[in-house]
Amino acid sequence: MNLIQNPSLTEQLAASYALGTLRGGARRRFEALARNHAEVRAQALIWQARMSSVAELQPQAAPSPVVWKRIENLVKADKEAKSMQAARAPLKPDAGWWSSLNLWRGLSSMGVGVAAVALMVGVNLNSINARLGGEVQELTAKLSATPEIQYVAVLADDKAAASMLVTFDPKSKRLTLKRVGGFQEASDKSLQLWALPQAGGPKSLGVLGSDAVVKLTAAGNEVNVPTLAISLEPKGGVPAGSGPSGPVLFKGALIETSL
Amino acid sequence: MTPLNPDTTLIALIDRVALADEKALRELYEMTSSKLYGVAVRVVTNREWAEDVLQEAFINIWKIAGDYKATLSPPMAWMALVVRSRGLDFLRRRASDRADRMQELDDVISDTVAGDSPNPMDVAQASEQAVALHNCLSLLENKQREVVSLAYMRDLSHGELAEQLKLPLGTVKTWIRRGLEQLRGCMAKLA
Repeated sequence: MNLIQNPSLTEQLAASYALGTLRGGARRRFEALARNHAEVRAQALIWQARMSSVAELQPQAAPSPVVWKRIENLVKADKEAKSMQAARAPLKPDAGWWSSLNLWRGLSSMGVGVAAVALMVGVNLNSINARLGGEVQELTAKLSATPEIQYVAVLADDKAAASMLVTFDPKSKRLTLKRVGGFQEASDKSLQLWALPQAGGPKSLGVLGSDAVVKLTAAGNEVNVPTLAISLEPKGGVPAGSGPSGPVLFKGALIETSL
Repeated sequence: MTPLNPDTTLIALIDRVALADEKALRELYEMTSSKLYGVAVRVVTNREWAEDVLQEAFINIWKIAGDYKATLSPPMAWMALVVRSRGLDFLRRRASDRADRMQELDDVISDTVAGDSPNPMDVAQASEQAVALHNCLSLLENKQREVVSLAYMRDLSHGELAEQLKLPLGTVKTWIRRGLEQLRGCMAKLA
């Protein structure tokens, strides 16, 4: 290939490749060449690194302070979801329960480590098995009672102030809404939660009571939507089958936590 | 004790973010958000969209901070690339709204390309590598520098650049080719 004997042409192609203007067949040919020739590959990498500095040279601009607020809320929700997940040992069916590190940690934290059992019981394997079997049963029961948070949403008002934290546990089909802002509806009004699917109109997920924590029941497919919203409605919500009639107060993206 | 260079500070913060340290994320945001918001504005051309992009980028950084070390990039370059990628994703998601994207081309850019007014480059917080590139880019004509910068930041082909800048395709190709040739010569002298 004559390109290899022409370093300045190689470099020009590497620069266009890194810039992104080398397209189509020419780009594919250059990529194939780079895979086979270290010097071409090196040029491509050098120019990719150089071009990445174009991004560093852009003029600054100040973002609105709400951006940090939104990031902070999402990070908090992410951490909360992670610690909930850590609370339950992942019983992956493909891995088998004994390969789960958390399960072993769980066992030892229950008071009796496996090694200790072996020491105390000596060679009586049957006894170990019986003992382990009992603990596993107990642990499994405990785990299935722990909520599994699959979705989290932070619903915020139009000023991006977080007002409602929503989690969904598909196992118990339970939506939990926690009021985090100071909003309280008037006594003749109710808040109503809506799923906003990609296509079609809003679907009601239920009407909220006035408590700080509200639990609603919903099927997984009802909750599998990009966005949730809360509208202000007459006391008791709108009649079944109709869409929201009042203003949307809070809205937020639903995030799957098992990412 | 000598003051830490900004890269060292940023790298230390990214390392702490990798350990899920929220305070470190906050500090990182305070140090870099203006620079990175500038990157987002440049890619998506709309301040409101750019805020969404900046938010997504920081959530992304929160999740992938552990991957930073392996990249061997200056920290600001790495973060700016995360922002650029999230910005390009954002534009792709809106790609059905082509008219939207075209119409949003900001006035500054059309002015720069048409009237050959200087487009401000900003070396604040830039890595050494970026300062070198900046010195070489400064030698280009403004319009050449602008098309090179736009092509990269928005991942545009010759054809898309010609369409967005309302210039003949041949002109765009020539500017990019000459721009890259000069850049190549200049960077070779520095290397």
